[in-house]
Amino acid sequence: MMFPLLQIPGLGNGMTIALDAVPHVVISHGVAIGTISIIVLFQTLAYAGKGEHWARTARTLLNPVVVVVTSIGAITGVGIWVITGALAPEGIGSLIHLFFWPWFIEWGAFTGEVIFLLALYYNWDKLVTIRPGLLVALGWGYVGMGVASAVLISGVLGFMLTPGGWPWAKSFAEAYFNPTFVPQVVLRLAGGLTLGSLFIMTWAAWRFKGWEEERGSVLRLAGGILPVAMLVAAISAYIYFSRVPQTYLTHWKFAVGTSALSQAPHLLPLANAVACLLILAMGLAAFFRRAALCRVLCIPAILFSFALVAEFERVREFVRGPYLLPGYMYANQVLLIEHAAGERTDAPFLPNIRWVSGKVGQTAEMTAGQAIFAANCGMCHSGAKGVNAISTRAAGRPIDGINAIIGMTQGLGPFMPPFTGSEQERLLLADYIYKLANGDAPHREPGAKGKKP
Amino acid sequence: MSGWTDLFTVLPLPENWLRALLFVSFGLHMLFALLTVGTTLLGMLFLVYDRFHGLPAERDMRSHLGLRTLLVVLGVAPLLIIQVRYPHAFFTATGLFAYGWLALIPLIIISFLLLDGLRHTERNHHSRLTLTYGIISAALLLTVPAVFTGVLTLMERQEAWPVFGASGFGVNGALALHWLLRYLHVIGASCLFGAAFLLLFAKGEEQGKVPRLRNWLFGAVLAQIVIGIPLLFTVAKDMNWAMLWVVTLGAAAAMALLWIMRPGAAWPDAAVPRGLLVLLPLIFVAMLASRQMLQDRAVMPVEEQAVLARKERAAALQPYQQQALQSFSEKLATVYDNGETIYVQACAACHGGGGQGDGPAAVRLMVPAEELSAIRADREYIYGILKDGTPGTAMPYFRHYDREKLDLLLDWLSETFGMFDASPAAGDKHGDRAQAATVWAATCATCHGADGGISDFGRTLRPSPPDFRRFSLTPERAMDVITAGYPGTVMQPFRALPENLRRDLAGMANSFRSPDKKKTQ
Repeated sequence: MMFPLLQIPGLGNGMTIALDAVPHVVISHGVAIGTISIIVLFQTLAYAGKGEHWARTARTLLNPVVVVVTSIGAITGVGIWVITGALAPEGIGSLIHLFFWPWFIEWGAFTGEVIFLLALYYNWDKLVTIRPGLLVALGWGYVGMGVASAVLISGVLGFMLTPGGWPWAKSFAEAYFNPTFVPQVVLRLAGGLTLGSLFIMTWAAWRFKGWEEERGSVLRLAGGILPVAMLVAAISAYIYFSRVPQTYLTHWKFAVGTSALSQAPHLLPLANAVACLLILAMGLAAFFRRAALCRVLCIPAILFSFALVAEFERVREFVRGPYLLPGYMYANQVLLIEHAAGERTDAPFLPNIRWVSGKVGQTAEMTAGQAIFAANCGMCHSGAKGVNAISTRAAGRPIDGINAIIGMTQGLGPFMPPFTGSEQERLLLADYIYKLANGDAPHREPGAKGKKP
Repeated sequence: MSGWTDLFTVLPLPENWLRALLFVSFGLHMLFALLTVGTTLLGMLFLVYDRFHGLPAERDMRSHLGLRTLLVVLGVAPLLIIQVRYPHAFFTATGLFAYGWLALIPLIIISFLLLDGLRHTERNHHSRLTLTYGIISAALLLTVPAVFTGVLTLMERQEAWPVFGASGFGVNGALALHWLLRYLHVIGASCLFGAAFLLLFAKGEEQGKVPRLRNWLFGAVLAQIVIGIPLLFTVAKDMNWAMLWVVTLGAAAAMALLWIMRPGAAWPDAAVPRGLLVLLPLIFVAMLASRQMLQDRAVMPVEEQAVLARKERAAALQPYQQQALQSFSEKLATVYDNGETIYVQACAACHGGGGQGDGPAAVRLMVPAEELSAIRADREYIYGILKDGTPGTAMPYFRHYDREKLDLLLDWLSETFGMFDASPAAGDKHGDRAQAATVWAATCATCHGADGGISDFGRTLRPSPPDFRRFSLTPERAMDVITAGYPGTVMQPFRALPENLRRDLAGMANSFRSPDKKKTQ
């Protein structure tokens, strides 16, 4: 805990990352890879002499797509890193030390991707007449770089789930080429194509300008891509989820539904099935060139596809369990080895927390409790209010109960890290949480009887 | 091997290589940063100027998208290298500056989107909207370097961290002055390089802008010198000779540039003086090199100290490696897909392996954990307790398990403890039944209700008493509770009552649970 501990008020840390990461995944997969691949395919069809409307469609889609990718996609991507770096510097710093080279090479691919994209963007109108073959080559060059970038980063993401033999062998190869690497790459690419074809169909159904036959051919092509991409995504998702630790995967319904929906066992599988069927229906409607039906289906299909992306990312984050780096660091940035040592020695943890600040007028005990809370629980739990507030979670529990529960978090919720600190600090933490959960009773003036407080 | 105990101590490259990589990648990033901010700022200033002078607003914002995208992409590499080369100063500074640092993301996105919207409005000739978009996006874009210079200023001043940590944005005078000058210096450099970029790439009808851009370039160089001198004084104590030489070189190049650009100098109509192409890179490299030297001098000692502390800690922790990995393996092998695992992991700590309420954590509890093996109750009632917990006791809610998991647990409780079996029959009459009923009505019913349901008063208690219409205990356990009370609750010991009466009361407590429900269990 060498670095300042940050807790985003209200939203909480996890939700803050999600708000940035989910749009990034939708854009980086669905637009930067999915939509642009299909645009390049259109341009290739035009080059192959399959009709001038393919070129026109590609050109019309290029501008908005480039704006979205460069303005929102790229910034939210760097944003994930900026946010996680501020929220979990020990975790991000460790990952970067371990994976410097893949990250650095990925940066090269990312730069190449952007250069290809800018080359397309600035030279399209010139090349389309004088050197259409080069234009197509630039397009596929972009797609190649985009895929390379997705492949390179997947090793790091996969490591955070399935570190393979890394915790024992401590070798880079074990960490990077881990069991979920390949299925995750395929899943992300196929998911991106699914999203991309959805976007293209939606655009073609609503905004296409030209003959109805031309619109029909665009719809048919996108509608043909979607079921295939979905099938590949489904198969790779199955392989992917069969390789993640089942310890945490069995909790997926709680992960997605939270305690609010965890008691409705069939709700989430049903919602997922409806979502997939709707997206598939949209693809079939497009394949059979039903523009009017596509216009109706596109809104729920796109909303559901975003929800599926969010759900997948949520589950992926959740099945990491209580670890930030499995076998090395807990989600609260405490090293596994640090916790093991503390357990044996009952060593106090507060001296390791460098940045402790309390509110003015707060007792020393509360300040200490607050710091212990921030270090142990703050990564996932808000304090008095906000997302996953500990005041709600501990409501109704007496202080002795809170103290007992702190000692068994790992068993009670296997996705929670254990408490790190001495016995005395555990009491301070219990006291702090108890006071958060049992704020001062509202004081009523004697004269104000009968009025609402 | 000890390097892996703390990953911060593992370097992917020797320090000199990292320094060289950082210098090059940061230079590329800064180049595009200056060009993006500079061309945007000048573009907006010209836009406002033209509008108020009734001139046709014709500018080319087309380069903006390319510049800013490269700026973002090229920012990734230095960020990566900084986080390896001096993570301690960097993460501390961004942590202390966190909200400003995080605000960068929406700021940049909105600014970029507005600039794209601006191109759209321009094409459609919404001049007022163009102006509004332009001013807002330029203003947002101008805050970005303020955050970056703020973070770097803080990063290089370890002595300011505790103050900053304790009082947030409260910055002392010296730090604020340096920050302000540094920010202005970046904005000045943006104008300088932005104007130079537009000059070098101005073509066609934009040639009319050349005199205006020349003036801006001249003014910007002059401003940089004026801002640079006090800025140099704010870092005087950290300078060394090497750095001084480099700054002098850059300053000399700036002077030469001033001379070339001086108003009234001979200026070829179409071409740009070749000197610019030599002097501008020279100034850029010299200024960045001196910046890097200053930063290294301030930050590297912090880093070395931190890494040393980490290495010491890693050595001390090393003996616990096996133990940590052992518990990690065990954890991965524990899958909550059966009732027994759930019970052992989540319940046994308090309720004990045999359901006797004697788990290791139970000793901490004021209200003892219930003896689960003694419970005879309705399944739905127990499910309700699992779902909502028992307020006033340590029994938490278990909605963090989905319904299927709770059903597995309930199945296991049923198989192991017979928890949902029929309530034991009241058995033989021990004493005077009528007397027991009187005592129940007079005393027990206060909380437990006349019909075994919880009375209104009982509902106000934390914990509330159990609902005997759906919950009962084995006669032995019920007898224990009546005799000894339930510690930590208002259930007091009734040792003083005759034993037969207590037995009858225990029988009564068991008699409320509906018999047909008992059969269905």
